[in-house]
Amino acid sequence: MVANVKEVKAKEVTVKRASPEEKRELSFKDEICVGCGICEKICPVQAIELGPINAIERTGVEESKISIDETKCVLCGMCSSVCPVDALEFDIDEKSIKEIEGYPKLIKSAEISDEDCIYCKACETACPRDAITIARVLPDRSKLVTGEIEIDKETCVSCGICEEMCPADAITMEHHEPTSAEPTVSTDINVDKEKCVYCLICKKSCPVDAIKAVCRSCSYGEYDLNPEDTEIKGSSFIDEEACVDCGWCQEICPVDAAHVEKAFEGELLIDQEKCEACGACLEICPCNVLSFPKEEFGKQGAENVRAEEKYCIYCGACEKACPVEAIEVKRTAVKHTPTKSKSWEKKMESLKT
Amino acid sequence: MVELKVDQDKCLGCGNCVVSCPVNGAISPESAGGHGPKTEEVIMMVENGLVKLFNVDKCTQCGTCPLFCPTDAIYLE
Repeated sequence: MVANVKEVKAKEVTVKRASPEEKRELSFKDEICVGCGICEKICPVQAIELGPINAIERTGVEESKISIDETKCVLCGMCSSVCPVDALEFDIDEKSIKEIEGYPKLIKSAEISDEDCIYCKACETACPRDAITIARVLPDRSKLVTGEIEIDKETCVSCGICEEMCPADAITMEHHEPTSAEPTVSTDINVDKEKCVYCLICKKSCPVDAIKAVCRSCSYGEYDLNPEDTEIKGSSFIDEEACVDCGWCQEICPVDAAHVEKAFEGELLIDQEKCEACGACLEICPCNVLSFPKEEFGKQGAENVRAEEKYCIYCGACEKACPVEAIEVKRTAVKHTPTKSKSWEKKMESLKT
Repeated sequence: MVELKVDQDKCLGCGNCVVSCPVNGAISPESAGGHGPKTEEVIMMVENGLVKLFNVDKCTQCGTCPLFCPTDAIYLE
């Protein structure tokens, strides 16, 4: 029999077995793991043990979030199939079982449609895992307005007020020390029409009324703007490794450009009577589902901890973290691709509670 | 195996750990209110000005008390 080989690099663990017929490899990424313990629950040979998650997350204990006993592990790949955040990867002959037909995988996804996205960055800010990057290219300010501007250089006294006031840095003066040959403080003044936004600040601030300017957009609207020049362009990117499909992006998006499909359905129940408000669940939850309600002076709140279930992925990490058993996470549906194996099907079903 | 430990040399006897511990609160609700626990069934209590562990087996290593200890006298290791 070929024995399993375990490799530990920092907190990343790999269990391998290479026989002449087949090579199997299970790898665990600690920084992706959320400490939910689903792998521990599904492992058919009890080879996985969840570590002291609270101590690791809250007090900086340097331990791996799970431990894999390579002498027990049969390299079946079930833990990888059900990991809700893909912290466990399982390969057979260097191919992920998520790409091998017949192996069930959780049906979950998160997408941002570039067609609908207006690049407002709300999702980027809200994402609890910092998995979203919105790159946007804004048009030149001057492309959003049109107008006319002229400085009467004869009237101008070169005071420099307009140059100082211009919010678009469109006015420049050629300052110089006066000499007897040229007894002026500036030789010239210019307006960069590529930069000018026709706000008319210069005109209003000029002490000698040397500037004539008019905003055509204010007077006549946007008829002479080129719509292509005013477009906000951009792109969105979701780091699939970091994303846990929590749904924050979908909920916060003002234009329904984000779509999230969750693998688990269920219910999150909090016993407010039992809760001691220690905050362990808040720190463990990978989805920012939980928060402490705002204190209202002189008012005894009914809730110790508030849950916004629409962000919940029903991973159960909070239930495991709670020291006083005040949280119950029920899983009522596990969505996965089909498998012909009855034992796998049964195991997938066992995740329901 | 991670365990709850106490370094009495560092302890100021402030009782933050006793009050913040959610398990203490569940066993002896008055301790969460800031009073001393009324039973030795709790995990830790301040005795003669220093914290003492009474039932360390009840600790779930939730990490709350180390967050509130001003001197790192109570810790998980």
